[in-house]
Amino acid sequence: MISKWIGKRVVMGIIVLFIVSFLSFFIMHAAPGDPATAFYGGNAQTLNAAEKERISRVFSLDRPVIVQYGAWLWETVQGNFGYSSKEGRPVSVILFERLPNTLLLFSVTMFFIIVGSIWLGTVAGMKAGSMWDKGLSTISIASSSIPPFWLGILFISFFSVKLGILPSSGTEDVGGDGGLMDKIRHLIMPAAVIILTHVGIYARFLQESIKTESNKYYVLVARANGVAKREIQKGILRNASIPYLNYIGMTIPSFFGGAVIVESLFSWAGLGQLMVKAVMTKDFPLIMGGILSIGLLVVSSLLIIDLVMYGVDPKLRKGAYSK
Amino acid sequence: MKSRKSLAFWCVVLGLIVAMTVFAGLFSTYGPNEMDMDTIYQPPGKGHVLGTDHLGRDVFSRLLEGGKVTLTVAGVSVILSFIIGVLYGGISGYIGGAVDVIMMRFLEALITIPSLILILAFQAFMQGGMWSMALIIGVTGWLVTARIVRSEFIRLKEAEFVKMAKMFGTPMWKIIFGHLLRNSVPAIFVVTLVNFTGAVFIEVSLSFLGIGVPSAIPSWGNMLFYAQNDILIGAWWIGLFPGIMIFLTILAINFIGEVLKDPRRRRLDA
Amino acid sequence: MLNVDRLTIEIDGKCVVEESAFSVRPGKITSIIGESGSGKSMTIAALLTILPLGAKATGHALFNGRNLLDASKKEMDAIRKTHIFTIFQDAANSFNPSVKMERQLYTFSGGRRGDTVQQFRTKMTGLLDELELSVDILKQYPFELSGGMLQRCMIACALYVAPDLLIADEPTSSLDRVLQKEFIELLKRLNEEQGTTILLITHDLDVVVEVAHEMVVMQAGKVVETGSVATIFKQPGHPYTKRLLDSRF
Ligand SMILES: Nc1ncnc2c1ncn2[C@@H]1O[C@H](COP(=O)(O)OP(=O)(O)OP(=O)(O)O)[C@@H](O)[C@H]1O
Ligand SMILES: [Mg+2]
Repeated sequence: MISKWIGKRVVMGIIVLFIVSFLSFFIMHAAPGDPATAFYGGNAQTLNAAEKERISRVFSLDRPVIVQYGAWLWETVQGNFGYSSKEGRPVSVILFERLPNTLLLFSVTMFFIIVGSIWLGTVAGMKAGSMWDKGLSTISIASSSIPPFWLGILFISFFSVKLGILPSSGTEDVGGDGGLMDKIRHLIMPAAVIILTHVGIYARFLQESIKTESNKYYVLVARANGVAKREIQKGILRNASIPYLNYIGMTIPSFFGGAVIVESLFSWAGLGQLMVKAVMTKDFPLIMGGILSIGLLVVSSLLIIDLVMYGVDPKLRKGAYSK
Repeated sequence: MKSRKSLAFWCVVLGLIVAMTVFAGLFSTYGPNEMDMDTIYQPPGKGHVLGTDHLGRDVFSRLLEGGKVTLTVAGVSVILSFIIGVLYGGISGYIGGAVDVIMMRFLEALITIPSLILILAFQAFMQGGMWSMALIIGVTGWLVTARIVRSEFIRLKEAEFVKMAKMFGTPMWKIIFGHLLRNSVPAIFVVTLVNFTGAVFIEVSLSFLGIGVPSAIPSWGNMLFYAQNDILIGAWWIGLFPGIMIFLTILAINFIGEVLKDPRRRRLDA
Repeated sequence: MLNVDRLTIEIDGKCVVEESAFSVRPGKITSIIGESGSGKSMTIAALLTILPLGAKATGHALFNGRNLLDASKKEMDAIRKTHIFTIFQDAANSFNPSVKMERQLYTFSGGRRGDTVQQFRTKMTGLLDELELSVDILKQYPFELSGGMLQRCMIACALYVAPDLLIADEPTSSLDRVLQKEFIELLKRLNEEQGTTILLITHDLDVVVEVAHEMVVMQAGKVVETGSVATIFKQPGHPYTKRLLDSRF
């Protein structure tokens, strides 16, 4: 049974992508040069008149802007993102090369952040008044105040320059075997930087939710009637996870934003680094493709979180929130 | 009691940083762009308290001047996002109804787009000086402010004293500024603080990547941009101090925000 | 069974219960009656050592000779699990909103006594039936049920457990007259057949007359009168009790 709520979220996601696409089209339109050049980039010079004519027809370049947008959107939806103005290769091909690296970095860091913050937050939240409880808020504020790229610089200067045990950049060794170990060695520092600067705030949020939940009336009732501590804690954790998941969803966009910087610092060949490079070289087709694909990533991760929430929160399943 | 002490402490720290950077000229011992090829890569010590960089420029003086740039960019962008956010959220919350629904849906959609990505896209064809940087951060940073202002307005609109004011025929602008906006100040203030740290983060990050404030202008991010190479040859001081300044600034603001956010305190003051 | 003496409760320095003293005799139904805010619920919280943060209780509350106020956490856990069952005033908020009723009712009743889920189902179905609740509620979540239904669920658990001491804080506040009457019958049966001692907190003098053997009158944090229901109704000693009885007719 597909619920009304999930349907609503999907529609919302599509609207978001629509706005994103509109913004990127606007950017292309504002870009210098004629639209054919903007879309076909460096290849434009090699195009003959007939091909230019064809592009102009496909993208309705002689028609009003809104029609052009429609034509462009139609091409984009079909996977035709144009050609990189610097490399000359199709944008979609370049994006697909980069996607696995971004997904790898994202899933590894998210995994450790979630596991770590659940562990820390639960320990701190359940033991009110303990060292953990008091320490976590300070540590989480401090760790989230460190600029991630600066921590990255410190890491590089220590682990790469001084100790020489970890590579300072790239996704794999040049001329290396490209094996798993190689990838992991390159992944450690960028992942650690993201995890260390983020895990604290998520843990803290969970800790606060657990504390709020522990003061609810039903906890008191259960405690007064001799319900086992573990059973009570399970219930608390389950309810506290609802605002926690919500918080993850709220912070996902800025999380992706932060990853852009870290990818660039470590030359991690993902979408974020690609975006930064494209901005530097003013490669507009690539910028547009980058925006769209990161938008798509954000929207799909939000949808995954929505699905998890749907499983965790019975009020959502039963539609108890909608009035 | 403890929270008041910590508030005072972090306010002093922030105040010192701001004062030192605003009056950079008074404290700095060299011109921020004064080069001296005879004293390049000098470690901290006599003459240059925090050492010199690859062009023999005094790190301490550049640190103060850089702070001025970074904090100005962040400050201006926050003012801008504050204005846009209050207008958008205020209109949405005050009018309500269908307008509110549409405006909020649009806002929700915008919020899911990583603002850094938008800023990057703008930077691609607007890359200019520090003012355009501030402008770009400002026009992309008002979303959360708008949401908070709107919910505060909706909450206050139902409050007894606002209903009374309406009944007595108080003019609309007086209700909006005198009642709604004035009573939203605590909430708006906290979110503005958060915005400020976000703006500092964005400026230093972009400048660090070489696509922020033009590299000729010293900013904390630009200093770190050069420090990347310097660290590889062991000149740690060039990268360490700007980082510490950024860290301290954000830490101070975060701790101040933390105390102000505390509901126990809020109730006492309200 | 329960002897309370010089019980004083302070919240942030403010005194909400002062030097209160009463006793609950085994096998009897004792009722606490008093106006709203007189400290009835706080007294219960103190007995169960679940006072809110910042609250402090002093004095004695002997339960089978053991002072509850200075019992260790472990002792208290054991007492709460094996000897006492408490129906709280706010039934609508007494359940975890995201756990199904079956699981929660089980932990409150069968789980406490070590029954299997199968045994629990059989017995609970009968009790729910007596309280005019359908078995379907076991498959539902608390937010899908009304306050009165949730209150009856708690009552069902109390009847299931048949504890040594049952504390019920206004258990019938959201029930209609008919259901209230039925519940009172069940309470009487529990007391007579299982010998359960009951401490019943209520606003309703009719209920007191109907079931209670003894009563405790509270006013503004003080116990102003204790004694058997019959005596007090015949000869109220305190002016507040007099007013209370007068208001009944
Ligand atoms: N969490 C709390 N913090 C501070 N004071 C409280 C708290 N809970 C209750 N009180 C105060 O304690 C006093 C006694 O409250 P209590 O709940 O025991 O009253 P009650 O007799 O049960 O009333 P009712 O019949 O309305 O349930 C009241 O004056 C109330 O203001
Ligand atoms: Mg009460």
